[in-house]
Amino acid sequence: MEPRDVLIATFVVMRTWIFVLTLCLLCFAKINFAQSTFPVNGTHEKSVVSTLFINGQFHTSPTELIENGQMLVSKGQIIAIGSEVKAPAQCEIVDLKGAHVYPSFIDLESDYGMPKVEGRQWSREPHIERSEKGAFGWNEAIRPEFHAAHVFKHQNEKAESLKKMGFGAVLSHHHDGISRGTSALICLGSNENRNLLVSRAASHFSFSKGSSKQDYPSSLMGAIALLRQTFYDLEWYLYGKNATERNLSLEALADGLNLPLIFETREKLDLLRADRIGDEFSMQFAFVGNGDEYQRINEIKATEGMVIVPINFPAPYDVRDPYLARMISLQELKHWELAPSNLARLEAAGVPFCITSKDCSSKDFFSNLRLAVKNGLSEAAAIDALTLQPAKYLKVDDLLGSLDVGKEANFNVMSASLFDDDSELLEVWTQGEVAIFVDRLLLDVRGEYNLNIDGKIYPLSVNGKVGQVSGEISRIQEDTVKIKLNIVQEGQQLSMNAKGDELGLPGTLFFGGIVHAESRIWDGTLQYPDGQWKTWIAVKQQDLENDKKEVPESNEEAVEMGEVIYPFVAYGSPKRPEAKTILIKNATLWTNEDEGIIEDAQLLIHQGKIAALGKRVDLAAVFGKSIPEIEVIDAKGKHVTPGIIDEHSHIAITRGVNEGTQASSAEVSIQHSVDSEDINIYRQLSGGVTCSQLLHGSANPIGGQSAIIKLKWGASPDEMVLWDAAPFIKFALGENVKQSNWGDAQTERFPQTRMGVEQVFYDEFIRAREYELAWKNYNNELKLLSRRQLKKEGLPPAPRKDLELDVLLQILNGERFITCHSYRQDEINMLMHVADSLGFTLNTFTHILEGYKVADKMREHGAGGSTFSDWWAYKFEVKDAIPYNGAILWEQGVVTAFNSDDAEMARRLNQEAAKAVKYGGVPEEEAFKFVTLNPAKLLHLDHRMGSLKVGKDADVVIWSDHPLSIYAKAEKTFIEGVCYWDAEEDIAKQRYIQSEKARIIQKMLNSPGDNGSKRKPSKRVHQHNHCDTILEEY
Amino acid sequence: MKHYSIQLLILLFCSGFVFAQDQVSPGAKHEGKTLLLGGTAHLGNGDVIQDAAIGYENGVITFVGSSLKAKSADYDEVIDTKGKHIYPGFITANSTLGLQEIGAVRATRDQYEIGTFRPNVRAIIAFNTESDITPTVRSNGVLIGQITPRGGVISGSSGIAQFDAWNWEDAAMEMTDGVHMNWPRMHHLHTQQGKPVIELRKTYEQQLHEIQRFFRESKAYSKGNGAIKDLKYEAMRGLFDGELCLYVHANDYKQLVEAVQLKRDFEIPRMCIVGGYDSWMAADLLRDNKVSVMLYRTHELPDYDEDDVNLPYKLPKLLSDEGVLFCLQNSGDMEQMGTRNLPFYAGTAVAYGLTYEQAVMSITLNAAKILGIDDRVGSLEVGKQATIVVSDGDALDMRTNNIVFACITGRVIDLDNRHKLLYRKYRSKYQ
Repeated sequence: MEPRDVLIATFVVMRTWIFVLTLCLLCFAKINFAQSTFPVNGTHEKSVVSTLFINGQFHTSPTELIENGQMLVSKGQIIAIGSEVKAPAQCEIVDLKGAHVYPSFIDLESDYGMPKVEGRQWSREPHIERSEKGAFGWNEAIRPEFHAAHVFKHQNEKAESLKKMGFGAVLSHHHDGISRGTSALICLGSNENRNLLVSRAASHFSFSKGSSKQDYPSSLMGAIALLRQTFYDLEWYLYGKNATERNLSLEALADGLNLPLIFETREKLDLLRADRIGDEFSMQFAFVGNGDEYQRINEIKATEGMVIVPINFPAPYDVRDPYLARMISLQELKHWELAPSNLARLEAAGVPFCITSKDCSSKDFFSNLRLAVKNGLSEAAAIDALTLQPAKYLKVDDLLGSLDVGKEANFNVMSASLFDDDSELLEVWTQGEVAIFVDRLLLDVRGEYNLNIDGKIYPLSVNGKVGQVSGEISRIQEDTVKIKLNIVQEGQQLSMNAKGDELGLPGTLFFGGIVHAESRIWDGTLQYPDGQWKTWIAVKQQDLENDKKEVPESNEEAVEMGEVIYPFVAYGSPKRPEAKTILIKNATLWTNEDEGIIEDAQLLIHQGKIAALGKRVDLAAVFGKSIPEIEVIDAKGKHVTPGIIDEHSHIAITRGVNEGTQASSAEVSIQHSVDSEDINIYRQLSGGVTCSQLLHGSANPIGGQSAIIKLKWGASPDEMVLWDAAPFIKFALGENVKQSNWGDAQTERFPQTRMGVEQVFYDEFIRAREYELAWKNYNNELKLLSRRQLKKEGLPPAPRKDLELDVLLQILNGERFITCHSYRQDEINMLMHVADSLGFTLNTFTHILEGYKVADKMREHGAGGSTFSDWWAYKFEVKDAIPYNGAILWEQGVVTAFNSDDAEMARRLNQEAAKAVKYGGVPEEEAFKFVTLNPAKLLHLDHRMGSLKVGKDADVVIWSDHPLSIYAKAEKTFIEGVCYWDAEEDIAKQRYIQSEKARIIQKMLNSPGDNGSKRKPSKRVHQHNHCDTILEEY
Repeated sequence: MKHYSIQLLILLFCSGFVFAQDQVSPGAKHEGKTLLLGGTAHLGNGDVIQDAAIGYENGVITFVGSSLKAKSADYDEVIDTKGKHIYPGFITANSTLGLQEIGAVRATRDQYEIGTFRPNVRAIIAFNTESDITPTVRSNGVLIGQITPRGGVISGSSGIAQFDAWNWEDAAMEMTDGVHMNWPRMHHLHTQQGKPVIELRKTYEQQLHEIQRFFRESKAYSKGNGAIKDLKYEAMRGLFDGELCLYVHANDYKQLVEAVQLKRDFEIPRMCIVGGYDSWMAADLLRDNKVSVMLYRTHELPDYDEDDVNLPYKLPKLLSDEGVLFCLQNSGDMEQMGTRNLPFYAGTAVAYGLTYEQAVMSITLNAAKILGIDDRVGSLEVGKQATIVVSDGDALDMRTNNIVFACITGRVIDLDNRHKLLYRKYRSKYQ
């Protein structure tokens, strides 16, 4: 087909020096004289013949159906549609014979026509700078200058496979980098000039750095920070008037931000992370999802973003071996069961969504779509998500998405309703080009025949699918013999063969012939082995009986299905536990206050707070006359303490605890990568932990911002983070930051010595002060400018907002606190000198294993210490670490805590506290404060946690024994009055896990398919993070 | 006859060393007769004696019983242990103490030789008696260790050391007690979409064939006279006549089943599973085949999300209920320095179901039995070595563990260490 329409490109002048192609529109000029820039080799085709489709079931929109309708198509467009349309004389008629016609599907997530993304080469050496030359931005993962339309090439195989799933148009982009440039909306024909509908249709983003060879970012939080900084840089570049650089990446990004914005994610929580960025910059992203959205549906709904959802439902595992089946986690099993209900749940929750073919084989697409409908998705919503919704999202619903006059003739012809299990995709029409998958015109030759060979009659029955039939010839004598007849049907031509011996005919018979009279009569010749030709004829006696088996209203409809649990891992619950009013009686209370330890005492929890405590609680004094329902817990013989607080933890962090690729990564924040689904949260609750500071690692001198969370198992990341807590940042010293133990290739990133570490701090902090000054000057200048001047000259040149320096400045101004990973006394002293000279205070030295050598200096400076009870000898710099460290620090008046840095030890922090008694004789009450009140003080949270005091958060643990004893077990752990760990309930949860796994495994065993060819079990393991964990891939 | 209080003993031993030296010297040979009088004696064999007396002569236990029955007058020295807890010296099985000093410093790591099958490398001759770590372990009550190589499929041979010696030669209680084998992993770890995943290994069967071949060849060799020596096969010889134990490091149920099959196929008299996370699932099989277990580190996270969060704590009880011979061990992250927490693993086992005396057994007599040294150590019984620790309080609880006296074959151990020295040094800075 010739391109007949005029491509109008509008060039818009953005700046005096920026010319950017912003918009491509196809105009459908209603002229008879088709024009093209392309010369024609031969005579010109005029495309004057239209096509009229008749007798079709036209599903014009998700909810509308024209039965037995007609549609007129010309030059790849729909000219008319209705029950009966007026057709011109020059018109070819296609009888659809009742076939169903749907608008072709639109896939918003595709890489059709794009070059392959190169894999990132692993290298031992660091790559700090950009490797490609050009006037682009500094980071290779930011590539908004990439336009899919410029590189797009028709790929036949890929187009075919997309069409097999009913897709007629795709939004295609290059899946490379964090900012990926723009996508193009492309129809799946073979003529690029005709198929390219919108050259810059949307801008695309992700958290994956793709082929970038640069080290930064090496973590999810780094990717987030990089993207945020890029958006701020853009503002500065466009409006700051201060840029001395020309940056084509930022220029391209500026243009791209006017388009729909689509963010590719890797898991459900990524949607929330991307949305947070969107909120910061007043952008609304649509998300490419992963089919697990149902696991956090309320939070995802709240993003108000549209989700592009794949339907590549997980395949069943081969679970015949119970010992291997054990390796499959509960979430994998449950996801296998629940994934097909994802779309239904999204629909029910009112989350807007489109369906993508991403990661789905064309073999499975329709069956998966139908499975989604069987799981509750409405048919209208399914069609909408494939047609109108994506068209509207891209604002191309004037071109695509429904069967309407003036739209592209992109439609699918199906043998029956899309949602019938037997319905087949027959044809996909794309802008008038047709791809035929099943020949609709093939004659249905099935039926009962009398076959006459050389005068003898044999009954012949022809069965199978239209186009793929086979026959059976019978010889009826004393006993009936049946032999198979292989039939190849090509149009009206037939060729067949059968073994003749059984029929009493010689050798193998070869038939050739033709079908006549609408398949009533076949005739032709056959050849015997001796070379003789004979004629044969078959006459139909009867059409195939309607063999449609009445599918019994199957019980499948009422599928037994487990519930969604929060979080979606083992020990999650269908229901969130609730805060109660609780009176704990007969307990030994460790108050951590002046009252000390109170024996045989009571504690009242109400509305998440400690409402009263003492020998006897006077309920009337608390509640007056309206005493609420109170759960009474008899804690006779038990000890009740404040919840344990872990000052140094690396649990519940997604994809990287270190952004150690630069000496300072102050711009990154763990708050952005909290993982609410980490089983270690639950395990630590079992050890009485209620609050943890999730720290950046120690790979660089200035690490990242930390997240302080309450271990509210089941809650979302945002609900766990204490947003109003004092902000912290991780610093680090010593062997990790100078990369001493990372192998001999890591000798390039500054600093490599303790000497260099000091200079990093001075350099960064001095830069922060200069940055502050630049802003002060700017703001002063603004104040001095008169309104008239402003009007005339505009805003003066503004400094660049720098996320890293903002954070460092907060430190200098006492608005953010440092917790510094530290071992040796020299460097501890050095950092205190740096702080003193710059006028701020180090809040906490964490690890601080040689703190005992400089405890006096720490006290003087005002720093606290959060140390290990007894770790040492793992690195050279911990050669002098001693278990008496905590005792000496405490004796010297330093606020002292014990921390974990380890998911295992964190659940035994009470025992670690006991080691302060063992090594150095700290009194028991004081030792217990090492893991409760003291870390609360270090975190500036002692006003709300760390002790049992009226008005504080009801973060409370009931222990079976003296809490410092190895024999003590946490029986119940409350956070804000909600019981998140209950030793008894835990047993019920174990049973639930066991029975739920067994139930789904049974179901999996009986699922369709040969068990031997199902997925082999594999186990998901956790990355156990420590300070020095560096990821190869985040 | 001299009467000592423990405090006096400590004073005697510490005073000379303040600021003097990092290292403490081995104790002098025990001569004469000593009586520990009073206190609770946990014999290590499951029995406990309240108000006990333990007597020993020239390093060998001569009396175990009630203090009422002990005749103080017969002894050259009587040490008052009233109110204290007396235990056999704790034994750390599957240990790399003395083989590695500082984890991050390659030059100090001696546990990993290269090669796949190397039963001939011997850990005991690399045991560094000058390690700064060992004294910090002793002072929590751990006096004996099985020094074990790591890595490969057959890592090498372990030996048994007592922790108060001038050199490996006088430390060695057994030069070799067994051969260590890492059962090949059935699964391997890789990342899938950024998430770590364990998958079945394709090469597992192949590795199994190689192992079986090595054992076939070793067994065939063992039938000859060794006129031409092959060091590897020579080192395997003792496995087939029961002189050495085959220690199989394995955790998964299927590995355990296959290891037991290997024992049967090659008629290996002594086998012990090291790790054995799934050993409770295979308890019948292990017990019936007389396979013992050195258990997965007690203070460890469960292997599966779905597992009981306290499963590692409960493993000792599970095995004990099934009558499988087991002891505790400590391999894993930072295992050398963490050895001093071995008694607390036993404490955790008590919290999760084991009786107190069973827990003591799991780091004393049971370990000695598995290591084949129970004729000498592991319990407080007449005729055994006077290898004893005395704690002020319950030694299995960090809250009360305070070792005030320890001896190996009666030789009194200096309980000082680098940590106490630095403690004293810097406390003096602040006085």
